[in-house]
Amino acid sequence: MTLKATFDWTQEIETITLGATKANGGTRKVAYTIGGGTTLPFLEPAGAAKAPLVAFEICDNPVFWPQVIRDYCGDLTNNPADWAKVAEAQYGADLVRLYLTSTRLRDFSDIGSVKTTVETVLSATGLPLIIEGSNEPKIDSEVFLKCGEAGQGERMLLGTAEAGRYRSLAAAALAYNHSIIAQSPIDVNLAKQLNILLREIGVQRDHIVIDPYTGSLGYGFEYSYSAMERIRFSAMKGDTDLAMPMICSPADSLTVKEVREHEPGLGDEMAVSWEFYTGLAAAAAGAEIICVRHPKTIPLLKQAFANLLPAAGNAGVP
Amino acid sequence: MRGCRKMALKALDIYKLLPKKNCKECGDPTCLTFAMKLAGGKADVSLCPYLDDHAKAVLGASTRPPIRLVKIGVGERSFKIGEETVLYRHEKTFYHPPGIIFRIPDTLPEEEIAKITRRVRDETFTRVGSDLRFSGIAIENTSGSAKTFENAVAAVERQQCHLPPVLIAKDPAAFSGALVHCGSYRPLLHAATPGNYKEMCALAKQHGCPLVIRANSIDGLVQLVKDCTAEGVQDLLLDTAPTTLGDFVARSTDIRQLAITRAIPELGYPVYLDATATGSQDAALILGIVKYASVIVTDPLTPGPAKAALTLRQNIYTDPQKPIQMNPGLYRVGTPDKKAPVLMTVNFSLTFFTLQGYLESTRIPCFMLIVDTEGLSVLTAVAAGKLSEMLVRDSIKKFGVEDEVSHRKLIIPGYASPLSGRIEDATGWKVLVGPRDAAEIGDYLVEEWKKASGA
Ligand code: B12
Ligand code: SF4
Repeated sequence: MTLKATFDWTQEIETITLGATKANGGTRKVAYTIGGGTTLPFLEPAGAAKAPLVAFEICDNPVFWPQVIRDYCGDLTNNPADWAKVAEAQYGADLVRLYLTSTRLRDFSDIGSVKTTVETVLSATGLPLIIEGSNEPKIDSEVFLKCGEAGQGERMLLGTAEAGRYRSLAAAALAYNHSIIAQSPIDVNLAKQLNILLREIGVQRDHIVIDPYTGSLGYGFEYSYSAMERIRFSAMKGDTDLAMPMICSPADSLTVKEVREHEPGLGDEMAVSWEFYTGLAAAAAGAEIICVRHPKTIPLLKQAFANLLPAAGNAGVP
Repeated sequence: MRGCRKMALKALDIYKLLPKKNCKECGDPTCLTFAMKLAGGKADVSLCPYLDDHAKAVLGASTRPPIRLVKIGVGERSFKIGEETVLYRHEKTFYHPPGIIFRIPDTLPEEEIAKITRRVRDETFTRVGSDLRFSGIAIENTSGSAKTFENAVAAVERQQCHLPPVLIAKDPAAFSGALVHCGSYRPLLHAATPGNYKEMCALAKQHGCPLVIRANSIDGLVQLVKDCTAEGVQDLLLDTAPTTLGDFVARSTDIRQLAITRAIPELGYPVYLDATATGSQDAALILGIVKYASVIVTDPLTPGPAKAALTLRQNIYTDPQKPIQMNPGLYRVGTPDKKAPVLMTVNFSLTFFTLQGYLESTRIPCFMLIVDTEGLSVLTAVAAGKLSEMLVRDSIKKFGVEDEVSHRKLIIPGYASPLSGRIEDATGWKVLVGPRDAAEIGDYLVEEWKKASGA
């Protein structure tokens, strides 16, 4: 007799491909397939289990980046291409997530630079990319199109679509065959609605990653944790509009009081702890891409995932 | 779920089994109201003195909480675990946060032992108005010597901290000496195994202690539960002896699910986790907190993981239906004078403490006017109609704000801007709409408030 929990799940999580290798028309050294889950996180049978991916977040204008990361990464923060290279070679990231923070400067108009930045980062690293475009509706359309074009054939993940602002992003993704991040404010129903909107304008389910929004640890994380569990649960119970993989970015965790006002000398430790505790808990709730900003959080997450999946599940296809 | 899932009895089914005397001896006005309480797991069958044996047997098994409540330690720092009813916190809530226990190997020098013990006694981390603390001390017989073990336990107890103890040893013979020093404090004993359960049960019974049983399969645990309860020990914890994090998550989920559905009543006990055994201690702590561990033993934590672990535990064990609230009122940041700004916000603790944190770092003395939105955040309160101009007007009166400041200007949260006109009309105060994000309050006060107040 073997006693096991049994669930009557009826629906799998959709699979999504991130990155394209040469064989598939891109230039990435590696591509990943995420999703495909058939039960709760980390309960998949050996062989089918996959480790969540760890994305390292970089930006093209560090003015908008947390001080603790600027101190730790130093000059790299002024050069996204070098930073991406180090993220791959030294930090051990699975993905690079590039925030085009320069577009947030007042009256930003140098749209051409967006394309160059994406291109240099693409040639600096062989990892698949996530690109965070503009934050400003007026320039969204141009920025997203440039990003999409620069990464044509690379199957990037583009962000971030929201209920009021998804058309230009979706257009760029559709035109150049990229996937998109769909973000809603910690609410299962809103996540579902946005996915329906996206579907109605032609974005396929296997091109959507849900971002239920990650409140920071200590400042609302419990709501995000439950939103993720509920999305995963609804998906397994058969709701195809929620059956997509999820992404978690604990970026807000680096600005909470405990990290901001750390004791002298403990800045890195607090930042890493806050990211790690949030990221791993989110993975347990169902997130399959965990984004981090502190390089030292990466090995902690990867070690934990390896330990969770003794059968060495790896989504990578070299 | 399992086919043989046994559901808790419905109130009416329970009522049928009661004596229907309506004698009130159970403390309830009628048998029916008592039945309703039983159905909700809110009363104990033994309160009715007139039940026949058949009713006792049926009700005892199905109204007992699916996971047994176990108390660790005695006195102020004792804590309760178990009595959980759901797999997901959003289905209801998680009730009893896991005890996080610092482990001391008995080979440590006495000063070290004393230091760690005092740390667990004294260290508090205050978040959103609650004092978060570590829960107790585990002494492990790493030396293998009963004498060393006893000395270490004595060293802990000499500190007079009365922290819930956990005693960990492989050899049952090692416990007797240790129990001389803490046997009356309800220490948790670790662990009974198929080989030693008789001796461990005898110890647990003699001292009235809760007992951890340890086996690396669910079936093994079920057998041990049967054996130990047959020996007369009821307060049990289950250690699934995981060697990887994956083992822990899988077994802990199995236990929780099979217990709350009452599919396997023998699994209805809280789970014990040794976070040091999987090679990734922090990761084990995190997964223990989110995936149903009730006692987690870890090596003493450095400040980052210490705060993060206590915070995660607080988050996960917050009732999703009951936001943590502040008492409405007028609060001071620094020592504000009559010209100091007044900032209005809601009584959701998270909102209060977030705003307060930013206000403190501006070092500008001010007043915070906290209005009663029943614990809802700004946006949620606005959306739910819980934040209104009348509420603001009444709060200004009730908390005597007009006597505290000489000006009549109120800064409201950016997200409450739709209400600004109405608040002005209702209160006669000039309303200034602040930033949406509290992080920007410093710049705002420096620039806008100075301008507005003519300073
Ligand atoms: C958790 C949550 C809930 C929880 C309640 C938690 C609580 N205690 O309020 C629950 C699940 C109960 C809930 C219910 C509802 N919610 Co709700 N909820 C949220 C959520 C996810 C987070 C809210 C939160 O905790 N914020 C954190 C706190 C700290 O933020 P805050 O109070 O606004 O404070 C910040 C600022 O306002 C500022 N600030 C605060 N005070 C002051 C003062 C001054 C002077 C200044 C300058 C600044 C300032 O500082 C803080 C930090 O920056 C938001 C979505 C989101 N991501 O915002 C939706 C959200 C607020 N909810 C929403 C809605 C509509 C509702 C419901 C009406 C229905 C629903 N969809 O669920 C109900 C109503 C509840 C009721 N009783 O009837 C909407 C509001 C829409 C709108 N724009 O008006 C939101 C935005 C989600 C959405 N649909 O887009 N909700
Ligand atoms: S004590 Fe028993 S018989 Fe009397 S009212 Fe309560 S349930 Fe009914």
